[in-house]
Amino acid sequence: MNAMNEKSAEQMDSAMDPILTSVLINRMDGIVREMSNTLMRAARSTVINSARDFSCSIVTADNQLFCSAEGLPVHIFGGHIQTQSMCDLHPDLKEGDAFLHNDPYMGNTHPADHTILVPVFFEGEHIFTVCAKAHQADIGNSVPTTYFAGATDVYHEGALIFPCVRVERDYETIDDFVRMCRSRIRVPDQWYGDFLASLGSARIGERRIKEMCAKYGKKVIKEFIVNWLDYSERRMVEELRSMPKSRLINSTSHDPFMGVVDEGIPVNITIDIDPESATMEVDLRDNIDSVDSGLNTSEACAISAVLCGIFNCMKSGIPANDGAFRRVKFLMRENCAIGNPTFPHSCSVATTNVADRLVNVAQSAFAQLGKGHGLAQGGIGMGMSCAVVSGRDFRRNNAPHVSQLFSGASGGAASASTDGWLNFSVSVSGGLMYQDSVELVEIKVPMLVKSLKYLPGSAAAGEYRGAPGTELVYGPVGNPMTAAIVCDGQEFPPQGVLGGHASEGARTFKILEDGTEVRLPNMVQEELKEGEWLRGQDNSGAGYGDPLDRDPERVRHDVVEKWETLARAKDIYGVAFTGNVDDESLAVDLPGTEQLRTRLRADRVASMS
Amino acid sequence: MKYSISVDTGGTFTDVVIVDEVGAVTIGKSLTTHDRVYKGINNALDSAAEELGISKAELLKATETFIYGTTHAINSIVTGKTAKTAFLTTEGFPDILVRKEGGKFNPHDFSEEYPEPYIPRSRTFEIQGRITSEGEVMEGMNTGAVEELLLRLKQQGYEAIAVCLLWSVANPEHELILGEMIENIMPGTPYTLSHKLVSAVREYRRASAAAIDASLKPLMQSHLREMEENLRDAGYTGDLLVSTSSGGCCDIAYAVERPIHVVKSGPSMAPVAARAVSLLEGLGDNVIVADTGGTTFDAGLVRDGEIKFSRESWLGKQWTGHIMGVPSVDMRSLGAGGGSIAWIDSGGLLCIGPQSAGSYPGPVCYGNGGKEPTVTDAAVVLGYLDPEYFLGGRLSLDVDGARAAIKVLADQMGLSVEDTAFGIIRVANEAMISAIHDITISEGLNPAESTLVAGGGAAGINIAPIAKELGCERVVLPKTAGALSAYGMQFADIVAEETRNCITNSDSFSFDAVNKALRDIEAELLGFRESHQGKSNDDYTIQYFVEARYAHQVWELEIPLPVGKFESDDHVQELVSIFHKAHERVYAVSDETSIIECLNWKGRLVIKLDKQTTTAAAVTETPVAVTPDAVRKAYFGRQTPEDTSIYKGVNLQPGTKVVGPAIIEEPTTTIVVYPGMSASTSSSSNYILEVIQ
Repeated sequence: MNAMNEKSAEQMDSAMDPILTSVLINRMDGIVREMSNTLMRAARSTVINSARDFSCSIVTADNQLFCSAEGLPVHIFGGHIQTQSMCDLHPDLKEGDAFLHNDPYMGNTHPADHTILVPVFFEGEHIFTVCAKAHQADIGNSVPTTYFAGATDVYHEGALIFPCVRVERDYETIDDFVRMCRSRIRVPDQWYGDFLASLGSARIGERRIKEMCAKYGKKVIKEFIVNWLDYSERRMVEELRSMPKSRLINSTSHDPFMGVVDEGIPVNITIDIDPESATMEVDLRDNIDSVDSGLNTSEACAISAVLCGIFNCMKSGIPANDGAFRRVKFLMRENCAIGNPTFPHSCSVATTNVADRLVNVAQSAFAQLGKGHGLAQGGIGMGMSCAVVSGRDFRRNNAPHVSQLFSGASGGAASASTDGWLNFSVSVSGGLMYQDSVELVEIKVPMLVKSLKYLPGSAAAGEYRGAPGTELVYGPVGNPMTAAIVCDGQEFPPQGVLGGHASEGARTFKILEDGTEVRLPNMVQEELKEGEWLRGQDNSGAGYGDPLDRDPERVRHDVVEKWETLARAKDIYGVAFTGNVDDESLAVDLPGTEQLRTRLRADRVASMS
Repeated sequence: MKYSISVDTGGTFTDVVIVDEVGAVTIGKSLTTHDRVYKGINNALDSAAEELGISKAELLKATETFIYGTTHAINSIVTGKTAKTAFLTTEGFPDILVRKEGGKFNPHDFSEEYPEPYIPRSRTFEIQGRITSEGEVMEGMNTGAVEELLLRLKQQGYEAIAVCLLWSVANPEHELILGEMIENIMPGTPYTLSHKLVSAVREYRRASAAAIDASLKPLMQSHLREMEENLRDAGYTGDLLVSTSSGGCCDIAYAVERPIHVVKSGPSMAPVAARAVSLLEGLGDNVIVADTGGTTFDAGLVRDGEIKFSRESWLGKQWTGHIMGVPSVDMRSLGAGGGSIAWIDSGGLLCIGPQSAGSYPGPVCYGNGGKEPTVTDAAVVLGYLDPEYFLGGRLSLDVDGARAAIKVLADQMGLSVEDTAFGIIRVANEAMISAIHDITISEGLNPAESTLVAGGGAAGINIAPIAKELGCERVVLPKTAGALSAYGMQFADIVAEETRNCITNSDSFSFDAVNKALRDIEAELLGFRESHQGKSNDDYTIQYFVEARYAHQVWELEIPLPVGKFESDDHVQELVSIFHKAHERVYAVSDETSIIECLNWKGRLVIKLDKQTTTAAAVTETPVAVTPDAVRKAYFGRQTPEDTSIYKGVNLQPGTKVVGPAIIEEPTTTIVVYPGMSASTSSSSNYILEVIQ
C-alpha cells in the first residue's frame, strides 16, 4: 500500500497541478451542468423534462469517457463506444457536424435513447466530443411503447435505427432525416422539440469547451485530460486497496415473461476483488443466451448497471470516467442476453428491467463482506406508475397522445446506515428522476388519478428498512386508453441482506366497471375504457440487517408517521409501547421491548430446530 | 431633517441604515437579541442616533418610513418553533408533502436519510371530494365528515390549518367551503387556502406554500404586532413596512395575512441595493450581486433593471428541502466563505469545503482552537489581512497558526506555503465563479456585460479575481457593503403580486378567459393599493406576465405581456414572438412551428416609495494621488512577495485612485487590489474596482 502511495505522490509532483486541475474540472462540470439544464428545460416529453431520463457527457478525441456530471447512472458508460463509431464511420468529420446515434449494437444503451454527438474542434483539431442522450417518448416502434419486451427481434420491435447518422453539416440540419422521423414517429412535434433540445444542449457544450480551450490553450487542456483521468484512476486504486481480497458470487432473477421467458431471466455475477493489484474483475459470462424478447441487455447498459451497483458501495466522489473504469475488467460472452446479445435480437428494454437486476445483484453482493458493506436490493420494477399510456385526447379533437408516466415509484434499498429512499424508482436512475405533478399529468393526458399514496406496513423490514413503494389508481377520461407496463419484481421481489426482509412484491390490478379487481400479469399492454381503472402497488426496497436490531425510536417514529402498523411494530420489530398514536403520546416501553425481542429471538431458534 | 430607517435583523447582527433627505447614509450595528428582537434594534438605533448627534426619540420623531427586515420566520422554521399545523388535502393524496417532486443529488450516495415532510403525515388529513382538471365537481364534499374532523382538530389543540386540494385553481369551491367551516368551527384559528396564496397548477408547490404560510401565521402575527407596539411606544408615528421575499415591502397587515412572503425578507434586498448602487454610479441596470459572509455566498441578478425572480426557491436544498411556491428574489446560496476548509483528497486534488469552520471555532488564525486551514487563513498568510486590524482591530489574528496549518497541505503538494495559500484562494474563487455562471449564462446573460456589486464582510478578498475571470469590467464595493440588505430596503418599493391560472393555447387563444383573469388580477392589486392607506399611493405601475411554454414542455418561461388586455390576433402574435425570442435566448433554440401554451397569468404592482433623493453621483474627478498609510509584503501568486500599499478607508477622499498591489482596510471589510488592477473612491464613497486594464 505504501509503495502505491509513494508512487502516486511522485506522479502527482511531476504531472498534476492540484490547483489548476481543481479549477478546470470545476469548469468542465459546469459545462455539463449547463448542457443538462438546457436539455431538461427545453425538452417536450415528460420522460426528459419530468423524469430526467437523459444525460450529457464529454468524451475525449481519443474516445475516453471524460466527464458525466450528475447523469443517469445507466447512461454513464458507452458514450466513448458511440464516439468511436463516429470516428470510424466518418473520416470526413469536421466542425459543424452533428450525429444521431441510437444503435445498441454500436455502444448506445437502447434505441429509445437518441444520442446527439457533436465533435468539438479547436484550432482545427478535434479535441472533445460532446454527447447529449435523451429517452424519447416514441421512436416509431410497431407498438406505442419504447420498452417493447415482446419484441421477438429488431424487425418486430420496429424502431427507426440511426447507426451514427450525420444530422447536421456546417451547423445546418439535414432535413432528410427530419422527414424520416416525422413520417414515422408518433406525435412528431414532440419528438422534434426533443431533438432541438438535445441539439441545443450539445451546441452549448461545444461553445463552452471552445471558450475554455481559447482561455487556457490546447497544451494545458491536453495535460488536464491526462491528469484528470489519472487522478480518477488513483481514487479508484485507493478504494480497491481498502477492500479485502475476495470473490463475491451472487444471483437474482428477472420475473418470468410468459410465452417468452417462462422461467424468468437469471442474472448471475462473480466479482473478484484484488486489493494487491488494485483491480476488480466482473464476470457476466454465466448467463443465458440472447432471448427472443426486448429484454436483452446491450453492452453499454450491462456495464453501466454493474458499475452503478459497484459505485453505490464505494466512497462517494470517485469520478465516473474511463480513468476509474480502467481498474474494472469485464468478462462477457458472445451471444449472451446480458452484455453481448447478437443481432437481430432486440434490446428495447435494455436500460431498465434486467439492468436494474444487474445493479442490485452487484450492490447486494458487497454485503457478503459483512455488516457495514453493500446494500440491500431495491428500486425494482416500473409498475403502472411508469406505464407508457396512449390513446386519443377528446379535449384536443381526438388527437393521438403518448406519454410515459412517472407518477409514483418503487422504493429504494436500505443501506448499512439509512432507510431506503422514497421516490427512488428504478435503480438505474439512482433516485435522480423527478415525479409528475398529478395536476400536470391530468392536463397532459386525458386521465384521472384517483389516489397516489403509501400504505402503512408496506416497507420491507430491517435494522434499516426499505422505502415503501407507492400505491396508485388511475383510469381514462373520454376515449379508451392503452397502458403498456413492463414491471418486474412481482414474482421475484427485491431481497434483503444480513437478515433484512424482502419486499412483498409489486402487483397490478384492473378494476372493472362493476368494481371487481383482476390481477394482471407482470408485463402487460392493457386497454381501459372510461369507468375502468388500474390499481398498482410498487415494490418496496428490501431491508438491511435484522429488524430486531432496529433502533426502537425509529420504529416508534414509523408508527406515529403511519409508515408502520402497531401490529408489525410488535410482531416484526419486537417493540412495545406506552401511550397512543392519536394524542401523540406514543412512547417506547424499553423493558417491554427488551423482553419482546428476547422472546422473538428465542422463537426463531426454536422454529429452526 | 427627515429620515428613513431600515433594519435587517440577521442571525448574528442587527443592521440599521438611516438615510436623510439629501441621501446621506448612517449605519448602526448591534448583536441580534433573539429572545426579544426589539432590544437589538433599539441598541442599533441608539448607536446610529449617537453618530447623528441626536437622541433616539428625536430620530424616530423625524422619521417618515421605517422598514423592517426579519429572519424571525426562517429561524422559527429552522428551529422547529412554528405552529402545530394540520394539513388538509384531497382524499387519496395524503403524501403530497412527502413525495415533493422527486429528484436528489449524488446518485451513488446511500448515506442520506429521506427528508421529513414539512407537516408530518400524522397531522395530515384527507378530505373527500374531487374536482377535475376541467374544474368540474366529480365528487362532492362530505361536510359532515369535515365538521367532525375540525372538531377533533380543535380539541387536539391545532394552532393553524393549511388547505391544498387538487385543482383548487380550476375551481376553488371546495377550498372555500373548508375556509368557511374553519371560521365557524375553529374561529380565530389562522388558516391558508392554497388557491388564494398561489394560483398556479402543480399541487406540491401550492401545498408546500400553504403549509409554510399557515405554520407561520400565529407567531408572525404576534411578532410583527409586538414590533409595531414597541416602535409606537418609542414615539414613532410614521409608516411601518416589512420587507418581503420579492424584493419589495408591504404593510404589517398584509405581512400578517401572508407571512410566507417575509421568509426571505433580508437576502432579497441585496439585489435591490446592488441595482441602486449601480445606477447611482452610472454603471447601468444589468447587475450581478455577490454577498459573501463567513459561511455562505449568495448571488443574485438584475437584468435590464428587473430583479431576477424564481418560483423555485427552496427552504434548504433543492428537491429535498421545502419549496416556497411563491415567487421570490432568486438568490443562489452556496456554502462557501471565509470559513470554508481547504483539504487534499486521496487523489491529490486541492479541495475547498463543503466543510466549514463556521464562526466558532472559526479559522485557525482566530486562535479559538480551529485546526483545519481555511480561506481566511490563506488570506492571512498571503498578507491580505492585517493581523492587528481585523474587524477594525477587535480580533488579533494568529499568523503563525495559519501558516502552520497551511504548511501541512503545502508539504503534501510539494509547494511553498504561499503558493498553496494562493491556490486555496483560487480554488475557492472557482465555486463562486460557477455559481455566478449558473445564474447568468443559464439565463442567456453574459456576465461580462454586467456590473458586479459585492457585499458582505469577506467580499473584498477575492471579488477582483472573480470579476476578472467573469470578464466583468465594472465592479463596485459599496460603502454600505457590510449592511447591504438593510441598505437595499431604502430603495424598496411596495410590491404585490397576484396570479390566476388560465390555460390557453396560442392557436386557439381564449380572449375572454384571459382578459377576465387579467381584470381579476388588476382588481385584486388595486384593492391591495387601496388598503395601503397613508402612503403616497399615486405613483404606481402594474406589469403583467404569463408563464408559458411550447406544447408538451413542462417548464415554463415567464414572459412579460405586450398588453394589459388582449384585443386582437396581433396582440397574441406579439406575445408569441416575445416567447420565441426568450426561448432562443435561454435555451439556444426556438421552434417557430410550435404552439405555445399559456398557464399562469400574473400581475405585479409596484407602488413607488418616495423615501429620499437619490441623485446620481457626479462623475469622478481627476484621480488624486495619495500616500499609503503603510507598506507591507503580500503575495499575489508570484515567486516573491510584493511591496503592497496599505490604505485606511477613512483617509481616502472621493476621487482617490489606488493602484494595485494595494490593500484598503475598512472597519468591516478588506479590499485587496491585485497587481495590474486599481480602485477608485466615487463621490458617493463607494469603491469602484477596475480589474481589466
